[in-house]
Amino acid sequence: MCGIIGCVGRADETLAVLVHGLSKLEYRGYDSAGVALADDTVSVAKRSGEIDELRALLDETTIDGAVGIGHTRWSTHGPPTDANAHPHGDCTGDVAVVHNGIIENYQSIRDELVSDGHEFVSDTDTEVIPHLVEDALADGAEPMAALRRAVDRLEGSYAVAAVVAGTEAVFVARNDSPLVLGLDEGSEPHGASTATGGTTRATYLASDVPAFRDYTDRVVYLADGEFARLDAEGWTVTDGDGTPVEKEIDTVAWDAEETGKSGYDHFMLKEIHEQPRALRQCLRGRVDELGAAVDIEDLGDLSPTGVQFVACGTSYHAALYGAQLYRRAGIPAQTFLASEYATAPPPIGDALVVGVTQSGETADTLSALREARHRGARTLAVTNTVGSTAARECDHALYIRAGPEIGVAASKTFASQLAALNLLALGTAPVDRPREAIAGLRDLPGQVQALLDDSRASAVAEQYQDAGAYFFVGRGHQYPVALEGALKMKEITYKHAEGFAAGELKHGPLALVTDDTPVFAVVVGDGEQARKTVGNVKEVEARDAPVVAVTDGRSDVERYADEVLKIPETRPEAAAVLANVQLQLVSYYTAKGLGRSIDKPRNLAKSVTVE
Amino acid sequence: MSVRTAVVLAAGEGTRLRPLTRNRPKPMLPAGNRPILEYVFDALVEAGLDRIVVVVGYKRDRVQDHFGPSYRGVPLSYVTQGKQLGSGHALLQARDAVSGPVLVVNGDRVIDGETVGSVIDHFETDPETPALAVLERQDASHYGAVDLRDGDLHSIVEKPETDEYRLINGGIYAFPESIFDEIEATPRAEGELALTDTIARLIDSDRVRAVTTDGLWVDATYPWDLLTVAREVLARGRVTESNRRDSVWVADSAHVHADATLQAPVVVGPDCEVAAGTVLGPDAALGANVTVGANATVQQSVLDADTRVDAGATLVDTVAGQDVTLGVETVVPGGPADVQIGTEVFEDRTLGAVFADRVTTRGNVSVSPGTLVGPSATLHAGVHAFGHVAEDAEVVR
Repeated sequence: MCGIIGCVGRADETLAVLVHGLSKLEYRGYDSAGVALADDTVSVAKRSGEIDELRALLDETTIDGAVGIGHTRWSTHGPPTDANAHPHGDCTGDVAVVHNGIIENYQSIRDELVSDGHEFVSDTDTEVIPHLVEDALADGAEPMAALRRAVDRLEGSYAVAAVVAGTEAVFVARNDSPLVLGLDEGSEPHGASTATGGTTRATYLASDVPAFRDYTDRVVYLADGEFARLDAEGWTVTDGDGTPVEKEIDTVAWDAEETGKSGYDHFMLKEIHEQPRALRQCLRGRVDELGAAVDIEDLGDLSPTGVQFVACGTSYHAALYGAQLYRRAGIPAQTFLASEYATAPPPIGDALVVGVTQSGETADTLSALREARHRGARTLAVTNTVGSTAARECDHALYIRAGPEIGVAASKTFASQLAALNLLALGTAPVDRPREAIAGLRDLPGQVQALLDDSRASAVAEQYQDAGAYFFVGRGHQYPVALEGALKMKEITYKHAEGFAAGELKHGPLALVTDDTPVFAVVVGDGEQARKTVGNVKEVEARDAPVVAVTDGRSDVERYADEVLKIPETRPEAAAVLANVQLQLVSYYTAKGLGRSIDKPRNLAKSVTVE
Repeated sequence: MSVRTAVVLAAGEGTRLRPLTRNRPKPMLPAGNRPILEYVFDALVEAGLDRIVVVVGYKRDRVQDHFGPSYRGVPLSYVTQGKQLGSGHALLQARDAVSGPVLVVNGDRVIDGETVGSVIDHFETDPETPALAVLERQDASHYGAVDLRDGDLHSIVEKPETDEYRLINGGIYAFPESIFDEIEATPRAEGELALTDTIARLIDSDRVRAVTTDGLWVDATYPWDLLTVAREVLARGRVTESNRRDSVWVADSAHVHADATLQAPVVVGPDCEVAAGTVLGPDAALGANVTVGANATVQQSVLDADTRVDAGATLVDTVAGQDVTLGVETVVPGGPADVQIGTEVFEDRTLGAVFADRVTTRGNVSVSPGTLVGPSATLHAGVHAFGHVAEDAEVVR
């Protein structure tokens, strides 16, 4: 999915309007973004990465023009390189085009254009459009007619917007991809309910209304096969033959902020609920349970004799878990904070160095990976972002396929990181009973759904939202979950929270435990780890701390717990994913009860690109 | 005035489909191997609508999670109906989210794009007059029955006592914006606002156009109807998986062992695993991530996402909800049977068994025709089950 924006009539503000519009479309994806402005010339700025990357580029470069178009992209196939980012241009640099959709016959058109001498610089289907426009312009066609001729050749779905040097206008075509015009008719709108065009103070176009909702609520939805021209005069809509089309002018009533959140109050809750789907995506095509096989693209014949993980924040907790998986398979593995590793690296030996980073742009992690490469190590990136810096710089990349995550606090990407690290271990190490391990992974989407259907987390959160501090304990695979539970609580509630290995509690932190500090204990199964953790639970219970057990119910921890958050029974490594979902929900509802800015916590950024 | 926005009513549970609606509303139950609501959205996208407003209520997160912020490029907005107080009340919740004329459709029946398109086309010739789709059904008395005069609606009666009606309200409407005022002016009946009551008033005061259609229209009223619905969508090839050969559809990401037998029509969803020696079909629909163990047989059955069928099981005329685990040698020999729903007994229904979400059967369980097993119930090894098994029940021999 991609997002398109266009703007005419905002003079010097055009660029700011475009970038703001792109940020409102970020729910449609954000792995690369770009803008083009036009007056006598066309200037383009585009960059892979989040919209902030584009903003940074625009801080360094000056581009100007009276009218403009912009694009934000989320690619699942093909890398989001600068070259593949939209807008795309022609050979002359006089045409720029943004496109949402898929051109099915682009290859044959491209072959034809190449043999006619056109030069292509990207791997995209979109790039044929500016070159087709270029040809038509060269034949003497007006820009609108040139776009008409170009899209005449296209098969597939498209919403296209183009700018052409020398014309202060945006040219638009739609087929099977959404496009809507926004009309700012000045302080007193015309009031007409239908028109084939009209004068405006400013005119916008976008894939979806929120992109320009801050400026106007008057909209015209384009239909398939329709074209539009936006210029200083206003707007006109025509059909394929150029005949004006009578269009209805609607007034939208709804609040732009809500779009993109799928009916939830926050992106974070939406993303917590997306975990079953994200896990399916992560596993899709990579596991064969009945054949007990894991097949991951791009890992080659990797079979490391040692592994060093480097990561920060939530990804560090995933990395701790990843190292446990390798150690269980008999392979020495350690986890390092990337910022420490970068400046004080340990001896690497033959170890594979694995960087875990959602964005693939985390500066500390990149720096640690570079240090490892510099020392001759083989490197692998576990990331959510196709073609990110980490993915490009490492020898191998394993994509977690969680889809775009907007909430600053990581939720679904942590679950997907854990699943992907299981795949990594299964694919590169002699994991015991692989078929059962794969079955455990394949059961996860349904089990997370079961948990979401019946979770009591909001009631638990409400009960303890005024507590002085929160502690989280777990052992084995549940230890990283305890750390992550505490980090989530800190990030979005701003309250003091700490995670500990359950056995470590008595070596100091127990001094902090009071009747005002709920302790969340993750207890899975009824083996030795569970029994020992239950012992630790008794210690805090004796200090009158409220105990919340996150458990599959196989141990007797519920006897010592004030509240229980149930998870389905499964293998311990899969249980970590489930327990974490309960803790995500507790943090979310606590933050909500406290009225925090959940999607954008104070002082935090989604991907930290400084060291 | 052209119709650009659709409102989809998807807030009701569909209580007659219990226990399958324990965790999701009826529109999210499977027609074949994808939710009914997907067919509705497909119809709206194919008819060219630009924006879809979904009225959600009962277990609304399931709708929101499945579809997210857009469907096939068309933006979705969600409005919540807090209490389910009738279809008119549901539509009123969307009032602030739409402007201009609106297409309204029930989210719980499989329909197609042509039907939606023809309602829109008729409406646009006279955009002040409401239009609704009507279709012929032999069992018209089970639905909102209508009769016509000169192409207009003459009367509309919910579940009439007589058999004389031949036409029903298809639940696809085009309204001018004034519909919202009309609903508000409609007196509540027992606290509820039914859209059909508003339409009955409109017939009295003005006119309502009927758009007769013979397009796809499939409804599930009771759990066993999901088997008929699956047969219908398979017969019409309304599936999204890749076509392997005539009426055999297998998702690209599914693993089907070379020694499994797929008898058309059959659809196998994404991420499924099907072992050697299994027989799937005819009329079997497997949702996403279903696992079928060696030498199992699944015929005339719907198995929803994440269900596991262990080795040697036999399932005939079976509806399994999500995340159901059916242990080795579980046997459901299939209908017909007399099924009791509430106080009513339905005779001679083709139904092997209904397993609600997260039911587990251990090994060697046998199930009598017409059995309904409630959510998260466990049937332990060697049990013979019949009648109703309650939610969370543990049944031991």
